[in-house]
Amino acid sequence: MATGEQPRGQTLGDRLYDFAFKNRVWKSVFRSGYPNTPRNQMLAVATNVFLHLHPTRIHRTHVKITHTFCLGGLSFFLFLGLTITGVLLMFYYVPSIERAYGDILRLETDVRFGQLLRNLHRWMAHGMVLTVLMHMMRVFYTGAYKPPREFNWVVGVVLLVLTLLLSFTGYLLPWDQLALWAITVGTNMVGSAPILGEPNRFVLVGGFQVGQAALIRFYTLHVIGLPLIAAIFMAVHFWRIRRDGGLARPL
Amino acid sequence: MAVSEQAQPVSGAVRGRQRRAREEELLVWPDLVFIEFIAAVLFTITLAILSVLVDAVLLDRANPAITPNPSKAPWYFLNLQELLLHMHPALAGVIVPTVALIALGAIPYFDTSNAGQGEWLSTPRAWPNLIVGSIVGFVGTLLLIFYDASSHVRLYEWVANPGKSKFLSNGELNPSFNGWPDSLAFLKSLRSIETELNWPDALTSIPVGEKILRTDLLGLPAIPLEINVAKVIVEQIIPVSTMIGLPILLSIVAWKVGLAQTKRDHMILQFSGFIAVFVILTIIGTFFRGEGLELVPYTIYSHG
Repeated sequence: MATGEQPRGQTLGDRLYDFAFKNRVWKSVFRSGYPNTPRNQMLAVATNVFLHLHPTRIHRTHVKITHTFCLGGLSFFLFLGLTITGVLLMFYYVPSIERAYGDILRLETDVRFGQLLRNLHRWMAHGMVLTVLMHMMRVFYTGAYKPPREFNWVVGVVLLVLTLLLSFTGYLLPWDQLALWAITVGTNMVGSAPILGEPNRFVLVGGFQVGQAALIRFYTLHVIGLPLIAAIFMAVHFWRIRRDGGLARPL
Repeated sequence: MAVSEQAQPVSGAVRGRQRRAREEELLVWPDLVFIEFIAAVLFTITLAILSVLVDAVLLDRANPAITPNPSKAPWYFLNLQELLLHMHPALAGVIVPTVALIALGAIPYFDTSNAGQGEWLSTPRAWPNLIVGSIVGFVGTLLLIFYDASSHVRLYEWVANPGKSKFLSNGELNPSFNGWPDSLAFLKSLRSIETELNWPDALTSIPVGEKILRTDLLGLPAIPLEINVAKVIVEQIIPVSTMIGLPILLSIVAWKVGLAQTKRDHMILQFSGFIAVFVILTIIGTFFRGEGLELVPYTIYSHG
């Protein structure tokens, strides 16, 4: 049967589509229509608070995987994942030297998916250090730090330091031998600085050796202080990418 | 009038450029958003599988009375811990990382040209500089570490004494064994310069007193200074001149042979060298440092 000779009525699919996307509730949430036309696709990006980090159009070389290997985006993705798993871990963890180690043991044995939660958090943390380092290498070797993007490179270096500090402060929290001695070795390095090293180490550790004061300091920095600072620098980082004209392009 | 006449060709050029650029552009939805979505899904799956298969390490409860041997920092700080074995702790633990981070942040302010941006290693000579920088950084650092671990002494004794062992069966030193010459004992390792040379006492303890570092003014205990020239040379002067001198030497040689001609060339050379040094220090610190942080064959003591 030749199509188009007779006017087609609404099919079941059309009616379902209208029911799903053309009702008042859907339209109150998503102002633009379903993104199946270029106009709606641009509106979908521009009017969505999460997607509007992006421009609406992008140069075709920048969607090649090998141009960026998604490393910056993956670092952000891991940061989000770490925030989610981290908040869940906080339900089961008390930062006291009497309880901390037992809490981790209970998390691993008594809590449903507790071990998986902890593993995810740990591997994402290692992964984020790696992706941030590789992102820095990518930006360097593609010459993406060149004018006008000088300052964003500096912001990136600050974010690298924050990533390392976030991982370092989290290292102490399980309160096992690995944690205690890694932090002891690490903070002793701070203490070796001339003149101000020892006072700084004292403030960081909250005493002469790593104990309860160090644990609560590292915990507070890990769960709120450093993530907030990192979020601020990330906001600047992403904003500057847009302001500087997106990803770097050959002249 | 004059303004609009001047502005005419400019705005025309801009419009032309924009029109050309438009054709090269894609819509972020769907072309980028879907890639990001797929990358996120792949990473979620990979991390979930990894987390199901490999558990995060949990050792015994923290005990300040039992110091594990070796004690190691987290893996991304093991490069600094490795440096700590070869120089003054203040240098390795604080000054070197601070200077390195400032130098890293300053890269765009040295290399201000626009050439080669937005494409992988697109300037001429980029790849040769990357390769040379990485190899020199990697091999050079390895050689320095081997030197400080006296590996050249063991190599010399092994070559000079085919089939002979250093000790007799009764445990005494073999008299016919050709050891490292005593006159060159100060070349056994970096520290030997301090320990194997006869430094006059006048140089190894120069009292400076408490009047230089007035930490008492900050309410801190006063620090009486005593300068040991041999120690200063071994722990500070030699490491600093090595860490500054060798990269400069590399750049000069690369410049003379025509490998590095532009600032970008030098940046790629030095950055690749830095990454190689960072990587090899981390690898050595993680896998090749055993009890007492001695250089050992591949082992994992620190379960990251």
